Amino acid sequence: MSPTATTTRAAAKPAATPIYAYAGKLLRVNLSTGKTWTEAWSEADRREYLGGIGLGAKILYDEVGPKVQWDHPDNRLIMATGPLAGLPVWGTGGLTVITRGALTGGATSTQANGFFGAALKYSGYDAIVMQGQAKKLSYLYINDDVVEVRDAAHLAGKDTWETQQALEAEHGLAGHRLSVYAIGPAGENLVRFAAIHGDYGHVASKNGCGAVMGKKKLKAVCIVRGTKALAAHDARGLIQVADDIAHDLKTDPSTSTLYNLGTLPGVVNLSKLGALPIKNYTTNLTGDVDMKEWEGRKLREGFDHRGHQCNACGMRHCHIQVIPSGPHAGDRVDEPEYEGWSGAGWTIGLTEKIPVSWLNTQIDRACVDVNEFGWVCGWVMECLEKGYLTEKQVGFKLTWGDVEGANRLLQMISHRRGFGDILAEGVKRASEKIGGKAAECAIYTMKGASPRGHDHRGRWEEMLDTCTSSNGTMESANPTFQTEVGAPGRINPFDGEQVAKLVGMIRGRRHFEDSLGGCSFTFRTRMANLASALSAATGWDFRLKDAVRFGNRTAAILRAFNLRCGIGPDVEYPSARYGSQPVDGPAREHDVRKQWDRMLEVWYETVNYDRKTGKPKKELLNSLDLGWLAKDLYGKK
Amino acid sequence: MPGEARPKASRQLPGEAQPKASRAHIEVTTWVTKHAGGDGTGSKLFDERIGRGDTPRTVLRRFTARFPELDSALWSPDHSELGSHIEVLVNDEVLGVTYELDTPLIGEERITLLGQFMGG
Repeated sequence: MSPTATTTRAAAKPAATPIYAYAGKLLRVNLSTGKTWTEAWSEADRREYLGGIGLGAKILYDEVGPKVQWDHPDNRLIMATGPLAGLPVWGTGGLTVITRGALTGGATSTQANGFFGAALKYSGYDAIVMQGQAKKLSYLYINDDVVEVRDAAHLAGKDTWETQQALEAEHGLAGHRLSVYAIGPAGENLVRFAAIHGDYGHVASKNGCGAVMGKKKLKAVCIVRGTKALAAHDARGLIQVADDIAHDLKTDPSTSTLYNLGTLPGVVNLSKLGALPIKNYTTNLTGDVDMKEWEGRKLREGFDHRGHQCNACGMRHCHIQVIPSGPHAGDRVDEPEYEGWSGAGWTIGLTEKIPVSWLNTQIDRACVDVNEFGWVCGWVMECLEKGYLTEKQVGFKLTWGDVEGANRLLQMISHRRGFGDILAEGVKRASEKIGGKAAECAIYTMKGASPRGHDHRGRWEEMLDTCTSSNGTMESANPTFQTEVGAPGRINPFDGEQVAKLVGMIRGRRHFEDSLGGCSFTFRTRMANLASALSAATGWDFRLKDAVRFGNRTAAILRAFNLRCGIGPDVEYPSARYGSQPVDGPAREHDVRKQWDRMLEVWYETVNYDRKTGKPKKELLNSLDLGWLAKDLYGKK
Repeated sequence: MPGEARPKASRQLPGEAQPKASRAHIEVTTWVTKHAGGDGTGSKLFDERIGRGDTPRTVLRRFTARFPELDSALWSPDHSELGSHIEVLVNDEVLGVTYELDTPLIGEERITLLGQFMGG
């Protein structure tokens, strides 16, 4: 069966030099002046930087110097899609947000889906690069060649769903005809873990990219589905590869659950491996909760639900559901991803499905990263329970599993009210400010990045990746078809050397995925398939080895950017709680701290970076044709 | 609740030649249950008799011989190694931590077959 949602758009009129798979232009916006312009990018650059994080990393490196902090007008906010966006491959409406982020103060890449990427390509642009700072709250309107920075006073204070609804009403367009990525109150109030939310349920969540957008006084980017031509070099070949990818997703044992249920099975599976975060890492036992009720199918069947697929997607992954009972009965919400069930649920001791589902969408609507919210809220709950924080400090009593209390805390954070002003800085800064025993309970990396929604004490590869990565989240793990790049299919997850070697070996895949303009879930296929899709789309001969090379080039550029920002090996370790030994559960015998230094040694050796300075080694850079970067890092000699 | 349904795991160290008990418990979970008479959800628990010299490998080989689809899903084509799609845990720990595939069993172990998944 072939993907069906869209077909390749035929060129409206023959072009002198056809550009396949790309619009061929970047849209530049100076928010300070309101000026907009386009910039062509050459085929050589497209071949080298692809799109998404590949393109964004290069622009960030070239244009954002070390003195340009995350909140400086010269910081860039880049929304980049890639060569497969808008083409008939499943889930190809994606974008990657690249910027200097508010949590780590370093590079950020965070990917989201919906229709934005396709709408942008159909409008004639491969990426939007925004600089400057608007004088008043504004939104960017794109309708093919009409690009305007418009007043957004009427959108001030609205949450992300309200913003999208208001813009739909304003333009008389809805559904797939208008894509909106926006910030809610948390972004407007510069919460350091504010996200950018779009198309009802999709979130570019990491490293405070929403705070960057808020600082630029940009409320939303609103794109009318464009009318420009977009063609694949080999449309028939692309359909064939897309069909192969879809077949893999449906039939491969490890991806078929993803095809049918998205990330919902994660709760039960991870609980068996000690990787479900429960009550701020204070336990790994599910207690008297009936875990059969938390199986993927049960999580979906408990709600009236409808498919909510992204551009050209045939997966049964994203859904909108209706709250069936309780004080919020009838509310439409986005079916939580696994990380919603964990961050808005298990992490804060909330194990009733309906309240978790409701809270998860409130977090999205406020434009807060659900992972960091879980670490912040869970930390407050634990500290109140243990007396490390007082009700007077917090402003009210908050106990494990209190959904209304959690929502109250969310609103305090989003509006920086009371104690929420401290929490809005993220759990690292907040816990450092409070100090004492409270500081020992907080979950974070020393870089300031939020761990994803797992208990990484049972998933060491992700802890190592989160601590060593240069993009404010994970850039390698978790492994996907890793035997394809020569990595073992099975390792001992508590053998630090094996873990570190694996993480080093699979490095690059995620950057390649995040440069193509699609969804990381529909791209859970062999990299060779993705390379074939790229080849069919562009006419290039792009192979697996090229994908690996590309990913490693991108990782090196991001690493160099971070080093220039002063973020190096000295902060590559977990906080005390994040790296602690579990007190119970499947991983209770295993203490990552005892192996951490050795893990770093092996990882550095595997990726060919210098352990002491953190720099990619010169010979590596030269082998990746990054001589210009080697000169920057090592001088001209 | 799995905690209630599960038999208590042995606290004895593995590796003794003579089993202290005559059975092990095989727990088949998630999508893997489809290959063992289930519907792809929940878990199914099977008791397997064990004797001297039995290991996770020998017990699982005997067990999967009764379920051809599971047999091909769990093992490599020549049956010499595990395939890469099903995680094997013994007493809640993945292979390689306390037990290897060829570590002699002591009895009352719980061997869990957990289907790999992506996402989350």
